[in-house]
Amino acid sequence: MECAVEKEELLRCLYLVQGVVEKRSSLPILSHVLIEGREETVSLGATDLEIGIRQQCKAVVKKSGAVTTDARKLYEIVRELPPERLILRSSGEGWVEVSSGRSRFRMASFDPKEFPAITPTVGTDDKKVAVSVALPGKILGEMIEKTLFASSPDESRQNLSGVYLEAQPTGKLRMVSSDGHRLAIIEREAGIAEVDAWPHAILPRKGLIEARKLLEKDEDSETDLALHGATAVLKKGTTELSMRLIEGDFPDYHQVIPKEKKNFVSFPREEFLSAVRRLLVLTTERARGVKLQIEKQKMTVSVNTPDLGEGTEELEVENNGGDLTIGFNGRYLTEVLNVLDEGLKINLFLKDEVSPGLLQAEEDPDFSYIIMPMRIF
Amino acid sequence: MQRRIIHLDMDAFYAAIEQRDFPELRGKPVIVGGNSQRGVVATASYEARPYGVRSAMPMMQALKLCPQAIVVPPRRDHYLAVSRQIFAILRSFTPLIEPVSLDEAFLDVTASKQLFGTARDIAQRIKARIHSETQLTASAGIAANKFVAKIASDMRKPDGLVEIPAQEILAFIHPLPVTKIWGVGRVTAQTLHGMGVQTIGDLARFSRDALVSRFGVHGDQLYRLSHGIDERAVDPNLEVKSLGEEETFEHDLTQDRDVHPVLLHQAQTVAQRLRGRHLVGWTITVKIKLAERLGEGRFRLYTRSHTLPSPTNDAQAIYRAALVLYDAVPRRQLGVRLAGVYASGLEPEGKNAQLDLFVSAPQQTDKRRQLGHVLDQLASRYGEGIVRLGATRSMRPARSQDPGSVRKEDMHDPVARDKKER
Repeated sequence: MECAVEKEELLRCLYLVQGVVEKRSSLPILSHVLIEGREETVSLGATDLEIGIRQQCKAVVKKSGAVTTDARKLYEIVRELPPERLILRSSGEGWVEVSSGRSRFRMASFDPKEFPAITPTVGTDDKKVAVSVALPGKILGEMIEKTLFASSPDESRQNLSGVYLEAQPTGKLRMVSSDGHRLAIIEREAGIAEVDAWPHAILPRKGLIEARKLLEKDEDSETDLALHGATAVLKKGTTELSMRLIEGDFPDYHQVIPKEKKNFVSFPREEFLSAVRRLLVLTTERARGVKLQIEKQKMTVSVNTPDLGEGTEELEVENNGGDLTIGFNGRYLTEVLNVLDEGLKINLFLKDEVSPGLLQAEEDPDFSYIIMPMRIF
Repeated sequence: MQRRIIHLDMDAFYAAIEQRDFPELRGKPVIVGGNSQRGVVATASYEARPYGVRSAMPMMQALKLCPQAIVVPPRRDHYLAVSRQIFAILRSFTPLIEPVSLDEAFLDVTASKQLFGTARDIAQRIKARIHSETQLTASAGIAANKFVAKIASDMRKPDGLVEIPAQEILAFIHPLPVTKIWGVGRVTAQTLHGMGVQTIGDLARFSRDALVSRFGVHGDQLYRLSHGIDERAVDPNLEVKSLGEEETFEHDLTQDRDVHPVLLHQAQTVAQRLRGRHLVGWTITVKIKLAERLGEGRFRLYTRSHTLPSPTNDAQAIYRAALVLYDAVPRRQLGVRLAGVYASGLEPEGKNAQLDLFVSAPQQTDKRRQLGHVLDQLASRYGEGIVRLGATRSMRPARSQDPGSVRKEDMHDPVARDKKER
């Protein structure tokens, strides 16, 4: 294998595969990137056996073939090289040479035939249930951004450690996530035709973190999200990201969505967000309880942490209900407001101090956030 | 103002309960503990002690010293129930109680004088009530601090009551061996012996500076204790830092499917003990000892911890976390010799309680907790294991009889025993 590639192009491609490469793997080859040169393109591949990424890179291939090398080390070397064209070349058995101007590096390579499949194993009947949807990268990125934070980082709750994907009869795509204490739901137009063919799927957190990275700062590119049996594949331009779906059933979330939407308070996003942020300073990792006291057209938000101190913030609100005092994990409030757009008017629907609250932006009823209270009294 | 601290220690607690419940054991050397290759002595009755049988001694060794001893598998839940009875008595005298274990506690009765009389009066009344309500005896030590009170309670066991007046503290502690001091273990003792220190009095002849330069921060503590100074408060909140359950297997377990039910059982026990103390834990730890010898009788030990997003005393949540941690332990196929589940980062239940979403109604959170408490009551009445999750049933053949793990079904004659108990 031998190819020539511009530094900036290789650096961009290597950056995109870094997140997938296992940092502490029991299999040494998983810390490597697979570099394949064929005809006009060079393809970079990496996998941790759960998610895989394939990135096409603009290059001039002089000799077809493949090599592997330590992904992180190669990225660090390329980053430090001057912005010039560089040459990647297999150099005898088990070596790859990187050269640019007067710089020359020889790095260890595994036999590329030993490299595991980039796309997680696709079963035999997988082809049958292949479905896909095309939508703007910006929209898909937004959907991930607004659900991923509410999924569970706790490995012991596997079916919650990802985002649940569902096609709606309206043709919209729905994403749902929860950590057992709060739940985020977002729906966006996707023009899905064969709704019934869509399987229920849970996309893993790690895969979505990479997807978010891929879609960030996206202008108007089209992305394609496909499900083949146990695998989801996201294609955008020259990148293909695949991930193994999480096994298990997502809990029946419909039952926790408050049906009664009678009593609610409304307030501007920024005002409430900055108040809670300030109050959270006087809480500890293990006690993020924030008290909301709603009386007439006023909401008093407060914290009280023994050995640390207490704080109070007063907000003017539109109160469309009675008086109520309720506790929430303040972190759960700031996290959702952080992913919502500036300038929104927030409606918080509350029934009583032990029932789930529903948070929505008045301008976007297709996003809902359901949050269980905390007993802090 | 001078403090009055009582250290109360039940006499041969587990063994005494067995002798109380089974009259045929009275007057005989009784050892409570796991009667297996790897069993350990939990408690020995006073009849077994002259033979040299001590707590934490391997059972094989204990039986060599005292072959006629009757070995009784422990009934932890039963002991816990008796312990609760005893702590209820203590609480009627002062809220300032620092539990050390099931059968041991410190009480600060300085402020109780107006109500109940002197510390000696209180200690006598506590001992009398314990005896009349449980037919068990306790030994008490009274002094101006915890250190001296603890040594005093040990002076005239069983059924002792020793009070050390402030002016006699030094005369009392100085002739005692230096190993009586908390924190002086084998290693420190060896160093001290090398310095010519045998008794606490020998230690008191060293200056603070000399001890600090030799032992660091610990040296300051040695200096203070050797002069009978101990300012540590009786802290009711110091109750427990962690709760756990572990088991050494009679045969190493090489299959995950044999270990999983053990972890589930341990998770249930830990959850039950947490609920019994109205606590929840943030961090779950799994301890796995592999059958990989490292020499000097040591084995490869892995401990893995995980902090949950919210604290729990729910068996399912503890088990789920334990399972993930266990699955991350490498080379389990070598055989698992010991498995344990612990909860730490403990705090009172209900404080900052985050409610769960996926239960059909919010009050279900309480129902689940109530269910836990109902199960606990059933267990303390009819024995642990009376009600359990389906998946744990199949575990029994894989289990051994080790301290802390034996349930009533494992007893020699379960039917006869059950009848007697009711």
